[in-house]
Amino acid sequence: MKDYLKRQEKLFTEKQQQQLEKLNIMIAGTGGLGTNQALQLQRVGVNKIYLYDYDQVEITNLNRQLCYGKKDIGRPKVEAAAEFLKEFDLETEIVARNEKISMATKIPENIDIIFDGMDNFESRFILDQLALENELPFIHAGIEGFFAQIMLVLPESELRLKDVFAGSDKKETPAVFSPAVTVTASVQVLEALKYLLEFDNYLKNQLLHIDLLSSQMEKIELK
Amino acid sequence: MALIVKFYSLFKINLKSPGVEYELEGEITIFRLIKKLDQDFNGYFSQKLLESDGSIAPGSIILVNGHNVIHLEGLETKIDNQDIVTLFPPSAGG
Repeated sequence: MKDYLKRQEKLFTEKQQQQLEKLNIMIAGTGGLGTNQALQLQRVGVNKIYLYDYDQVEITNLNRQLCYGKKDIGRPKVEAAAEFLKEFDLETEIVARNEKISMATKIPENIDIIFDGMDNFESRFILDQLALENELPFIHAGIEGFFAQIMLVLPESELRLKDVFAGSDKKETPAVFSPAVTVTASVQVLEALKYLLEFDNYLKNQLLHIDLLSSQMEKIELK
Repeated sequence: MALIVKFYSLFKINLKSPGVEYELEGEITIFRLIKKLDQDFNGYFSQKLLESDGSIAPGSIILVNGHNVIHLEGLETKIDNQDIVTLFPPSAGG
C-alpha cells in the first residue's frame, strides 16, 4: 500500500485496497465534474487516470473547475489539468489526451470504468455507446444549480443512458457552481468505487437524485 | 394502490410538494395526467412539460415505472393505479 494512503486503510479489505491501487480510469471531460473526479481519484490512490477533453480553459470555467487558474486561460484543459495534478507528486499516473470524444475514439485497453464529465446529453449518449461497445461500466452525472443525478450503467445493463434521458437537452446554458459540482463529483466517485470494489449496495438500475436545496438524496427505481 | 406521481428538483421546490397520489377508476394517458395535475397545481405541468403544439417539451423527463415515455407511447402512454410516474427536469451541466 502506498504510504500516504494509511488513513484510509481501515475502510477497505486488503483485497479491495489492492484492487483500488490497480484501477485505471477514463475521465471524459475535464470541466467541473471531471477536474473534481480527477482530484478525488488521485487522492484515493488509483493507478492511472486518462483525462480526455479538447477545449481550452476559459474565464467562465474558473468558478468550479478546480485544476485551473487565470494563468491557464487559453491552454488546453487536459494539459493544464495534468500539470496541476502532477504537481502533487503522488503516485497515480496522469495521462492527458487532447481529443474530442466521438464514436471513433479509441478507448485505452486497460480501462476499468469511464467517468462522465460532460456538460450535455448529446455527448453523453456518444460516451455511453462507446462504453457499451467496449463492454465497460460507465458512470453518469449531471449537475444544474442545486440538483444533480447519478446513474451507473453496466456493460450488461439493458437500460442505457438514452433510455432514461432522451429529450433532456435544452437551449439554455445550465447554472453551475463549485460546492454543488464538488458534492456531485464526489458522490459519483464514491458510487463508482462501491461498484468496482464489490461493495453490496452499489447503484443497480437506479438513478440517484441529489437535491442540495432540501439536503436530500433519493434513489429512483428504473426497472 | 393508487397511481403515484413523484416530483423532483425544481418541480418539487416550486410546488412545495414531493408528489401526489390519485385513485384512478381506470387507465388514463400521460396527457390526461398532465391535465389532472394542472387542476391541482394551477396549470404548472402543461407549462413545464408541453410545447405549444402539444408535444413533450425538451428538457423535462417523464418516467413511467422508470421508463422514459419517449420510448413508450409518448403522451399517449397508458397509466393506471400502482404505476409510478416520475417528473423532473434533468440536470445537464458538468
